Amino acid sequence: MKDIIQVKNISFNYSGQPLLFDGLSLDVHEGEWLALIGQNGSGKSTLARLIDGLNVLKKGQIFVDGLLVSDQNVFDIRNKIGMVFQNPEDQFVGATVEDDVAFGLENRQIDREKMHQLVKTSLENVNMWEFRDRIPANLSGGQKQRVAIAGIVALSPKIIILDEATSMLDPQGRQDILDLVRQLKEKNHLTVISITHDIDEAASADRVIVINKGQKIDEDIPGKIFSNTEQLARIGLDAPYTAQLIAALKRRHFDLDKEYLDREGLIAWIKQLVSTK
Amino acid sequence: MTNFLFGRYLPGNSWIHQMSPQSKLLLSFYFVIVIFFANNLVSYGVLALLIIVVILLSGVSITFFLKGIRPLIWLIIFTVGLQILFSSGGTILWQWGPFSITNLSLINGGFIFIRFLLIIMISTVLTLTTTPLAIADGVQTILKPLKRVHFPVDTLALMLSIALRFVPTLMDEMETILNAQRSRGVDFGSGSLTHRVKAAVPLLVPLFTGAINHAENLSTAMEARGFTDSEHRSKYRIYRWQLKDTLSWIVFLVAGGLVLYLRK
Amino acid sequence: MDKAISFNQVTHTYQANTPYAQNALDNISLEIPTNSFTAIIGHTGSGKSTLVQHINALLKPTQGSVTVYNRSITPTTTNKNLKELRRHVGMVFQFPEKQLFEETVIKDIMFGPKNYGMVDAEAEQAAIEAMKLVGLDKSLSEKSPFDLSGGQMRRVAIAGVLAMKPEVLILDEPTAGLDPRGHKEIMDLASYLHDHDHITIILVTHQMDDVVNYASEVVVMDKGKIVQTGTPAEVFADPKWVYRMQLNLPTSAEFAQQLIDAGVPIGQLPLTIDQLADRITELARKGENPDD
Repeated sequence: MKDIIQVKNISFNYSGQPLLFDGLSLDVHEGEWLALIGQNGSGKSTLARLIDGLNVLKKGQIFVDGLLVSDQNVFDIRNKIGMVFQNPEDQFVGATVEDDVAFGLENRQIDREKMHQLVKTSLENVNMWEFRDRIPANLSGGQKQRVAIAGIVALSPKIIILDEATSMLDPQGRQDILDLVRQLKEKNHLTVISITHDIDEAASADRVIVINKGQKIDEDIPGKIFSNTEQLARIGLDAPYTAQLIAALKRRHFDLDKEYLDREGLIAWIKQLVSTK
Repeated sequence: MTNFLFGRYLPGNSWIHQMSPQSKLLLSFYFVIVIFFANNLVSYGVLALLIIVVILLSGVSITFFLKGIRPLIWLIIFTVGLQILFSSGGTILWQWGPFSITNLSLINGGFIFIRFLLIIMISTVLTLTTTPLAIADGVQTILKPLKRVHFPVDTLALMLSIALRFVPTLMDEMETILNAQRSRGVDFGSGSLTHRVKAAVPLLVPLFTGAINHAENLSTAMEARGFTDSEHRSKYRIYRWQLKDTLSWIVFLVAGGLVLYLRK
Repeated sequence: MDKAISFNQVTHTYQANTPYAQNALDNISLEIPTNSFTAIIGHTGSGKSTLVQHINALLKPTQGSVTVYNRSITPTTTNKNLKELRRHVGMVFQFPEKQLFEETVIKDIMFGPKNYGMVDAEAEQAAIEAMKLVGLDKSLSEKSPFDLSGGQMRRVAIAGVLAMKPEVLILDEPTAGLDPRGHKEIMDLASYLHDHDHITIILVTHQMDDVVNYASEVVVMDKGKIVQTGTPAEVFADPKWVYRMQLNLPTSAEFAQQLIDAGVPIGQLPLTIDQLADRITELARKGENPDD
């Protein structure tokens, strides 16, 4: 599999603060859904900003789809990456839904006819076309995030980075956004990086990287990562629900040689457990 | 506050709503100038009639409209009152120390009252029927000639539209902060002047901190979405001059001519 | 049981008599007992925040009356009488860190108590206690609140409310945006204040797991009306109804439902992880000894 993003031995600190990353390396495979998990302040959001060229590295290199992230390439890089940020309010630039989706297109000087066409199809893609005249004050957080996603889709990027994009939404809004991104990923063959501390969101990723205090401390498929419940607890993250239930059953003296199963797996195991032997 | 209409937008699809923002802006400006040429009852009557037609065409109910501008009328009455008391000339009807009321000052006061009222009415119609974004775009179109002298028209328009877009956000935030500090025992709007100024600190500090946070996040998001500078962008919206604009201009010009003809 | 708070046919209309008019609360009657832990749930826009702002007299009813510890708020109550009422009701807003403004942490926490008449020494004592309660280290007291991390700022804000020693504490989605550890710390704090200091807690939340793990009473709102009140078990008894209200089930109930759909005879829906584990244990023992 091709690595669409390569982070090579990077160091970075915000001015006047100690090093946040010191020699961090990691890869993102093309077409995967990668979850980047860690506590607040672990550096995961900063990493996203470095990949998008929003902050400048101190040492090391980052390549996005073969391009080195640098001052010269930064606009080509940003054509390949769409970012959805945490606060729905602070990424809504346009006065209305339509204008907001158009913002990125205007920046790239797309001509008007094509722009109108792209705005319409992108908003239809996220089911927000009927809200095109609304001002942000009359939208819910989830709807604003949909608009943000439409603004990204309009530019047909290769990579979408969700920077805690669902953490300020209610559970319904959260699920809606994740379903939407999943659907877009399949349709447009995207690579998705989701930065999150919601463990159940991470559970549905193809691969998980655990960041703690600026270091990559683990990287594996979700099943393996979540089996290590001690490590999760140590860095202040919850175990996924199924792992918690398994632990509760073990306290009741059931024998299960695994720490983690996905929902289907656990349901099958319980089914077998309660059926008459 | 809740009935206050000045500066608000009411969605609709009326004749006035459909006019291009640049011509609405220029017409309002023109109307205000004409107001200062009117100087007798007949000429004011022409303008009053015109504004009533405009309100009718905007699809806003007249009673609702009048209720909405009522809070401002007290302000006008206060100003006009001062004007009457301090002006001189004509027959003195009442006098007390430096204050006097004369027949001329009464008439003048009446006219000033009508002027204020007309100005408020036309600007309320403008904001009621034009989205903030359209106003920003209208300003941009009107100022376009200034680009030749390197005046940053596009930057100004983008700043204006983002500022207007964040007005409701900041109003919401202000409301929340007001409430949070109220429940921490702050009494806004009562007590002595120093007390009131002091009470503003717990409101203003969080409000500014919040605004700065928004600005930082917003600029990151704009950059991530490919923004470099406001001069090298294409435009999604264009407000074209329409037949409605031409017709409105003809009516307004005729009314203006009439005012010039009828004034003393 | 004593009632701390009661709503008597309360209607609240935003921007009454304008084309913008909106009924946010529609003829609400409700009683919240003293020393209860009440969760208020409902999908976004159902009127939860409007409801709790009445308890703190930040909003006055358009019709009807609200009574808080024998002080009543009616449409004609003047603003002067509200301050006395507010000192008994602490309110933690969503993202409360936005209300911080003082130069130092300790000054910010002392702000509320001083407004309600405590002298400096008293207020400082109350602030020190509150810092301890929320788990803020003493060494932070002279720092600027704006130099702290997001999670610490939130705790400063909560301490600022607790230092006023309220009898009722309203928490409006207090854990929004926090990571799991921060979330658990805040919820455990609420639970401690309820059990140990006998404070009446009112929690507005979207997290159904918090409802079943912490609350004793639940109020469900929809379109400005109260559509259900009861214990968590009563409220979550009918999953179809819960979904119709655009709400979620607690994770354990949702998982139990999946087990039922897969043919495991769980029976009545368990609400917490321990209830579900107990139920599975029971079923497994039966499986081993079919004669039972």
